[in-house]
Amino acid sequence: MKKLFFIVSSLVAVILVISIINYERSLKDSSPSKNIVNPPVSEQKPAPLQPIPVTDRIGYTLQNNELNITYDNGINWVTVPVVVDHLFSGEYNGNKTELIPDSFILSDKSAAFLTTIGPIKLIASLDNGATWQESIVYENAPAIRFRKVDFLNDQFGYVILSGDRTMSQEWSSIFITNDGGNSFREASSPGTTRLIYNGSFVNEKIGFLSYGVINPEEPDFYVTTDAGYSWNQASFTIPEKYHKVFVTAEEPYKEGDHLAVLLNQGPNGDYMGGKVKGKFISFDQGLTWKFASEVAPNDEP
Amino acid sequence: MTNRKKLVGLILFVMAIGLFLLQMIYFYLHAKFFVEYSDNRLFYVFNIAIALLFGLSMIVLFNMKRTAKIISIFMLLLFILINSTLIFKHPIPQIVSVSPDFKNIFVVKEIRGEARYYRTYYGIFARQKETLLYHLKGEYKINWVTNDVAALTYKAMDDSLHQFIGTYGDRGSGISYYYVGSALYGEWKGSNSSISTHTEGITVNHGGSKETFNWDQIVQFGTLAVVLVDDHEAKWIIALNDDFIMDSGSGIGVAGTISLFQASMEHKEILILKR
Repeated sequence: MKKLFFIVSSLVAVILVISIINYERSLKDSSPSKNIVNPPVSEQKPAPLQPIPVTDRIGYTLQNNELNITYDNGINWVTVPVVVDHLFSGEYNGNKTELIPDSFILSDKSAAFLTTIGPIKLIASLDNGATWQESIVYENAPAIRFRKVDFLNDQFGYVILSGDRTMSQEWSSIFITNDGGNSFREASSPGTTRLIYNGSFVNEKIGFLSYGVINPEEPDFYVTTDAGYSWNQASFTIPEKYHKVFVTAEEPYKEGDHLAVLLNQGPNGDYMGGKVKGKFISFDQGLTWKFASEVAPNDEP
Repeated sequence: MTNRKKLVGLILFVMAIGLFLLQMIYFYLHAKFFVEYSDNRLFYVFNIAIALLFGLSMIVLFNMKRTAKIISIFMLLLFILINSTLIFKHPIPQIVSVSPDFKNIFVVKEIRGEARYYRTYYGIFARQKETLLYHLKGEYKINWVTNDVAALTYKAMDDSLHQFIGTYGDRGSGISYYYVGSALYGEWKGSNSSISTHTEGITVNHGGSKETFNWDQIVQFGTLAVVLVDDHEAKWIIALNDDFIMDSGSGIGVAGTISLFQASMEHKEILILKR
């Protein structure tokens, strides 16, 4: 009896001593280190970066007030040497957790971002973010509203800008590069001061600018066939039925031996729910367009 | 040795073993479910209790030689001394407060620079529930507004004043969530103060001065309390008292009282308001 008592109590004593050591150790792990100055309250811990996908592997994030891009789905990140606010400056009131659509390029070959404060610049990298170069697109600094950058190939690219808006009038222009974005020349402009809706090039010669954002009544659509040196207003043959229905031209695209473009109903359209578009085709490089068919919202090419 | 003495000794011995097993269960729960003692120092208290129980049962059960007795008692005292030292030199700041009716325990521990709020189980165990938004500077006070609403008022590192409310009950059916703000809809009056809850927010009228808090300045805790915040600092807490009766159809309080309590490091009285 006595023997058992002492064996049990000694065993308990030994285990408890070990437990105390363990307990103290677990506390030490969790107690605040006295040497580290507590971070200021406002400073939040950097959250792990979550890519906003552009393709299945390529993405970017604007977390922590910097622009980081990834080419491997968030495993490795490259910080773009750009101030995040400069990507959004101008007449933009949307959210700043995602980049403005069309204001950047992120693809296997290249990454390019437009900054719209001061002289408008394009910050670009052709080697997955290892080196960056900055080129000036436009020396002046209007308050930019519409912005778009796109490249058709390694060399040829364009930037469309608009700004200095007063009511429904604004300045807009298109800038073209033939050397992969090192230098830009300002193309001539169609001479309209309506608000620009969109613009694009289908090849190095043929490009389009589409105007009319507020209450458009018919497409205001210009075409160049000489890489922006001269512009002509394109004419649409719109069936009576679709008059004042299909009013704003979107981006034309190549289709077989001709060009095609979709005309949408603008912001106030209510024909068949307002989402149906009209498809027009052109056989003369975009100068004249004739109606082809109606396109349901989910049938778009 | 009388039988009675033997029985007492055995009971003490069994109690010691029981407490010892509790400590072992704790280690198991800690490893598996991150359970902690609600007060970390309970661990040492239990150790001391185990030592005392063993010592007592030893004295009661056995007639030992003088030297053996001295050695055993010396060992026990040493063990107790070590545990007592660890109690007083405990490295983790803890806030532990028991409600006036001894039914609920409010526990906040500061671990790795974070103030963590714990839910207790069976009084002695606790698990982390959430992390407080701000890091405690050290100054704090706890008020039990009702038996199941504890208000922790504390200064953050930037000297701003904050409140965290631990709630341990419910005034509805207990099965569904409801908004305290909408339960407060309408007028509530006390002797020197009143609140009015309307579509824009809550207006607090106290001692002649009026202040309106928009809904985005109102932070709900559990289903019992809201904190009214201005410029990221806590100003008032409103809690539903035990006698608060809610119309289950509309989710609006129809009878009973609520507590209005000013956030301050100084002593403030809890103001009782009624319909």
